Amino acid sequence: MRYTEFMKIFFGLLLILFLAFSGYHLTFRRFRLPLFARRFYLTGIEFLFLGILLGPQFLNIVDEDTRRGLEPLTALLLGWTGLLFGFQFEMARLRRFAFEFLSAAIMEGAIAFVWNFLGIYCALSLFFSLTGLMKIMLATTLASVAACTAQTGLALLPRDSVTRHRDTLKLLTCISNINGLIPLLTFGVAFLFSPRFLITTNIGRDIMGGFGLVLLYTLFLTRHRKESELILIVIGMAVLTSGTASVLHFSPLFANFFVGCCIVNLSNEKDRIFNILISVEKPVYLLILVFLGVNCHFSIDLASALMLGSVCFCLWRSLGKIFGGFAISHLSRELKRYPHRLGFGLLDMGGLSLAILLDFHHGFLYEMTSHIIGMILMAVVFNNLTSYYFLRQLLNSSLKQQSTMP
Amino acid sequence: MHKNLMTYFPALFLLIVFALWVKSVAIQSSWQGAGLINFSSAFVLLAAYLSGHILRLAQIPLVSACIFTGIIAGPYISGFLTSDMVGQLRLIDDLALSFIALTAGGELHLQSLRKRGAAIALNIVLITLAVFALVFAFVVFAGKEFQLIQNLSPAQTISLGILLGVVAVARSPSSAIAIISECRASGPFTETVLGVTIVMDVLIIILFTLALTVTRLILAGAGGISQYTFVVLFAELATSLLLGALIGKGVSFYIDRVGYDLSLFLLFIAFGITKTSLWLSHFTEEHFDIYLHLEPLLICMSAGFTVQNFSKKGFEFMESLDRIALPIYVLFFSLAGASLNLEALRMCWPLALSLVLIRAIGIFTGSWLAGTLHRDPALHNRNAWMGYLTQAGVAIGLAQLAQRQFPEIGEHLNTVVLAVISVNQIIGPVTFKTVLNKVGEAGKR
Repeated sequence: MRYTEFMKIFFGLLLILFLAFSGYHLTFRRFRLPLFARRFYLTGIEFLFLGILLGPQFLNIVDEDTRRGLEPLTALLLGWTGLLFGFQFEMARLRRFAFEFLSAAIMEGAIAFVWNFLGIYCALSLFFSLTGLMKIMLATTLASVAACTAQTGLALLPRDSVTRHRDTLKLLTCISNINGLIPLLTFGVAFLFSPRFLITTNIGRDIMGGFGLVLLYTLFLTRHRKESELILIVIGMAVLTSGTASVLHFSPLFANFFVGCCIVNLSNEKDRIFNILISVEKPVYLLILVFLGVNCHFSIDLASALMLGSVCFCLWRSLGKIFGGFAISHLSRELKRYPHRLGFGLLDMGGLSLAILLDFHHGFLYEMTSHIIGMILMAVVFNNLTSYYFLRQLLNSSLKQQSTMP
Repeated sequence: MHKNLMTYFPALFLLIVFALWVKSVAIQSSWQGAGLINFSSAFVLLAAYLSGHILRLAQIPLVSACIFTGIIAGPYISGFLTSDMVGQLRLIDDLALSFIALTAGGELHLQSLRKRGAAIALNIVLITLAVFALVFAFVVFAGKEFQLIQNLSPAQTISLGILLGVVAVARSPSSAIAIISECRASGPFTETVLGVTIVMDVLIIILFTLALTVTRLILAGAGGISQYTFVVLFAELATSLLLGALIGKGVSFYIDRVGYDLSLFLLFIAFGITKTSLWLSHFTEEHFDIYLHLEPLLICMSAGFTVQNFSKKGFEFMESLDRIALPIYVLFFSLAGASLNLEALRMCWPLALSLVLIRAIGIFTGSWLAGTLHRDPALHNRNAWMGYLTQAGVAIGLAQLAQRQFPEIGEHLNTVVLAVISVNQIIGPVTFKTVLNKVGEAGKR
């Protein structure tokens, strides 16, 4: 038996054991696992490893042909995430948040983006010989990935903690819902200026395409539809928009975000569509993790460099988030009531960050992108395993601050 | 309805204009190429959905509307979907077929099967005999009238007759399930048609293996029927059924103990089954010199059947499949339409139409006799043939298998089968919907 075959069987067995263990956990999830293990499962990191196992480096179940065959599914995942993020920007809903909250959320995203962009750009200039445009593109993507925040940690908090810190958690939720706006907009614009596409990009044509799509979907959604029909329309919408974006050299994620923003403010079916989108949010996130796992590449020669890079990325990002949190807690008198360590609660990386990474990988199929994905994914693992500790620190300090207030 | 049409027509018009505009953009990179495939698949999905609503006015079922859309978008008419694109979407096609097979298994209720067992068995035996006998006789005795068969030797004509006769028995469970699901049909007639169609899908593999062996005897003039072939065949079928049952148990355990993200879980199962069975065939052939072909569709059907009949989770299972069934059916049948070989139909349409007619007569004779013997209502007996006309993937697969084994007659067989399927796949869903309305079982669920 050849070595590769032996490896395939071995990893096949490993995969089965892994799934059995996951199944066991899911089955008996009412038993209290240690916090570390719970975070491991609830952040879906196991699906990342599943992707790595299924990918070309090990089992090769998702080989090149399969990956190509699954392109529409990837487009659907990116489209779904983009639509879901776009649906956060319903004007009527946004008006319910205090103005300070909204500006704090957008400011936090912008500060974290700029911080990360500068750091990453300097690092790329020092250690890599890339063209200027490529450096900007890469730094923009990684800074966008770094600037977005997820709510995983907030979902893990015990009920009494949620009650005690209602105000702080409300602000954190608002920030993590919206702070991806600036990073995603910048990523979307930077996508247009990719060195690969620059010659053929036509911004006027792209904008016209976007509005054409919105008009088309508005027609689809003028009447009340059965749920199964609405699911079909949403799937069609996500894949059609992603496909159009790719043909016109645009980011599928950003194009769907734009469509989502328009639909949520124009269609009467917005609530039902949102329910469909949110009902598979977790599976979509997990599948993105699987796809990223499949696409990433770990080379033994570069292992130490990638590990170092991911630690540096993680630390720099955390500093940016902490600084961003500190800055917004000084924005206005209203926001001064909140703990200065607000950034401690914004360290989780979630679906939007990963979707940007997947979008980047599909748009920029250079050899180095799979290494970059590997590096960032390691950073995601570090980040998601440690962020809960920092969130608890924030909430403890918030209690102390409350007790010292007159 | 007319108010709805006021939105369907402009939406379809705008979609087509948009598609033509996107199609006019020059494709210069693989990223754009992949995007165009995504765009095309979504375009077909949405266009088929709109066409389905528009054609509903003419009582045409959604399946047929999807097939028409696929044909129009496909390589032979507008060329919007090229053959390469259809090939690249094959994985989605396989995935959809596994999903449909899961649904097929779930639709079979043991209690109904027991109740309708005699009717199902009679229909299978009599339809198989009538269709095979008529098609075989037609090819052997009247085949010389057609250009395609004129130059074949008598032995080759007999072999072609046997193979065409067996392929004519094959049906399309996916179309049947899609129509039943669309019409929300339920009742003894529906159960009988579904039971016959699904059981026939298993039996056709055995019949075809037998036909291949006999053909080999006729064409090569040597050897005998090998027991080994049948032992392997039965081992494959038994293993597929057993594996499906085990997977079904696993699925019901998952629903029972976990219960959420069921659609994703079923997607994973369907994908896993398709890929693993292909890989296993390859692996056993390469390493142990054994060609063990596990049938993914049979595994999925068996899994669905187990969840429905040997667990208490049948309802949740079907509900979860139902929720995502519409996009899967629409995409699957549109791609099926785009894959239809209109070139083959153009080449031999007189022979194809004659075979379609002969097959329909065979089905009518068999189903009428079976119904009469079983004392089913006369209305059912007169119209049952309309429920058995659809034909799809399995028949194409069998013809391709025969082509590989007997290149001397394979090309003729493949061309005729593709042409016959093209006609049956277009008219079959329409007749099935009509008969479900006629016997009054549509809308009973």
